[in-house]
Amino acid sequence: MSVVEQPVTPTVGDGVTEAITRSKWAPFRSLFITIANLSVFFTAWQLFALTETINPLFFPKATDMFGAIYTGFADGVIGPELLHSAKNFTIGLLIAGAIGIPMGLLMGGVKIIDLILSPYVWAMTALPRVALIPLLILILGFGNSMQLTIIVLSAVFPMMVNCMEGVKTVDQSLLRAGSVFGANSFQMYFKVVLPFTLPFVISGINHGIARGLVGMLIGELLGGGGQGLGFLLDRAGDQFDAPMLYATLLLLAVMSVSLVQGMRWVERRAAPWRSTRV
Amino acid sequence: MTQTGSSVTGTAPTFDAGPATAGKPLIEIRGVSAGYENKRAKTRLIALRDVTLDVYPGEFVAIVGPSGCGKTTLINMIAGFMDPLEGEIRVGGAPVDGPGADRAMVFQDYAVLPWRSVHNNVKFALENRRPRPSKAEMDRRTGDAISMVGLRGFEQSYPYELSGGMRQRVGIARALVSDPQILLMDEPFGSVDAMTREAMQAEFEKIIAATGQTVFFITHSIDEAVALADRVIVISSRPGKVKEIINIDLPRSRFDESVRRDPRFAELREHIWGLLQDEALGAKIGGGAA
Repeated sequence: MSVVEQPVTPTVGDGVTEAITRSKWAPFRSLFITIANLSVFFTAWQLFALTETINPLFFPKATDMFGAIYTGFADGVIGPELLHSAKNFTIGLLIAGAIGIPMGLLMGGVKIIDLILSPYVWAMTALPRVALIPLLILILGFGNSMQLTIIVLSAVFPMMVNCMEGVKTVDQSLLRAGSVFGANSFQMYFKVVLPFTLPFVISGINHGIARGLVGMLIGELLGGGGQGLGFLLDRAGDQFDAPMLYATLLLLAVMSVSLVQGMRWVERRAAPWRSTRV
Repeated sequence: MTQTGSSVTGTAPTFDAGPATAGKPLIEIRGVSAGYENKRAKTRLIALRDVTLDVYPGEFVAIVGPSGCGKTTLINMIAGFMDPLEGEIRVGGAPVDGPGADRAMVFQDYAVLPWRSVHNNVKFALENRRPRPSKAEMDRRTGDAISMVGLRGFEQSYPYELSGGMRQRVGIARALVSDPQILLMDEPFGSVDAMTREAMQAEFEKIIAATGQTVFFITHSIDEAVALADRVIVISSRPGKVKEIINIDLPRSRFDESVRRDPRFAELREHIWGLLQDEALGAKIGGGAA
């Protein structure tokens, strides 16, 4: 019974730790697959469009769409609108984060603030954002401030709710460990509560991005500001310009996917214990 | 099994209920009752009733009892997480008022901080106290504690990269690093697989022999209690009371083959098993009486 399981220092050559040899192309494997996958997709699209089973007015060739992207950028049709949308979205998200994250953390930590604010927060979280458009147009007119406001209003509540939930779900035994090992309330907050909440904050930002994009589009589509990707979409539809319509949709898809993937990367870096939890 | 209560008659062995060590008790539990309020039913569930117990410096005390007997409640009160309804708990002569530097705890679910490396998890127990030791001092003591539990080489690993047993080694190192007088352990090996458990028990016995700390150890394993403790406290089923205190007069190391084969080992184990079986049966038949 004197056999003692002694973990050994992990070093290469100790019989337990082995060096891994991997092809230098291995990191690019998923990239290759994605490129092949997309090539197949667009080729199939092109071939299907060539058969003209669907009226080309609604379903253009993939090459026409890429052509529209190229000429759109070359002629300065897409560039300024993309810039406008991206700028609005970034500013809106920053404002939403600056309000939503601290407020959510506060609501999670202070019971009375939670009690006072939560009916409004939940009402605003549940309310479809489109419903606010007429009111916002009435107050703010058709200008950019209305578009910005709808982005902020869309993104701020999911951020708030996630941060609040994060603080509220802090593992009780971690809090106990904190108090046993002498953490005062300040140390408890910064060493236990906040690190625990960080993944929730990131997931709140993720939700905020998704909702914010919707807010950005409805603001541009329905707000009549005459600017942004939503406006481009609206105008292309009115003019039966299918390649431009699809081109704008593709740009929007690329924009959302890169934002979501970027946040997933941030999440993996910030909270590796969540994705690898056994 | 008709015998109940603490009277052991006939051919059954008698067990000395006195303290193993003389001197002034380090933990004094005096007439403690504890309960949990059920706000909806406006009732109170009494978990412990009138528990009186002394733990002496350097003593290893194991608490066994059927599940729901208030073992964890008792350790939580000593840790300072909750207050007794009645009675008093004193540690080192002073009434318990929240957690303190004289007590460290090892949790059943490890409770290590997932975002901290092994080194920084252990250091956590040093960095919050005032006066705070110098950085070099903290690192040195952290390193010592990590070597003591056999985790050298894993200082920079994160808990999610470790097995359950290794995570609990982190929990034990964190409790040892500040050299507290008292180690409170709430089923520390309960979530660890059987093979690893035995190895960790044997190591832990050595560690405690070296540090001489006072250990208050909760377990549901009779083997574990007999193998580790100087005294085993059997708690009756809800509401929990001290049913019997058994001195474990076996030589150490208890993980030695010869000690394991000692008939006394089996005798003690069987006696405690009998007490607990009475409790389990009593809980089933008279469960409503509580």
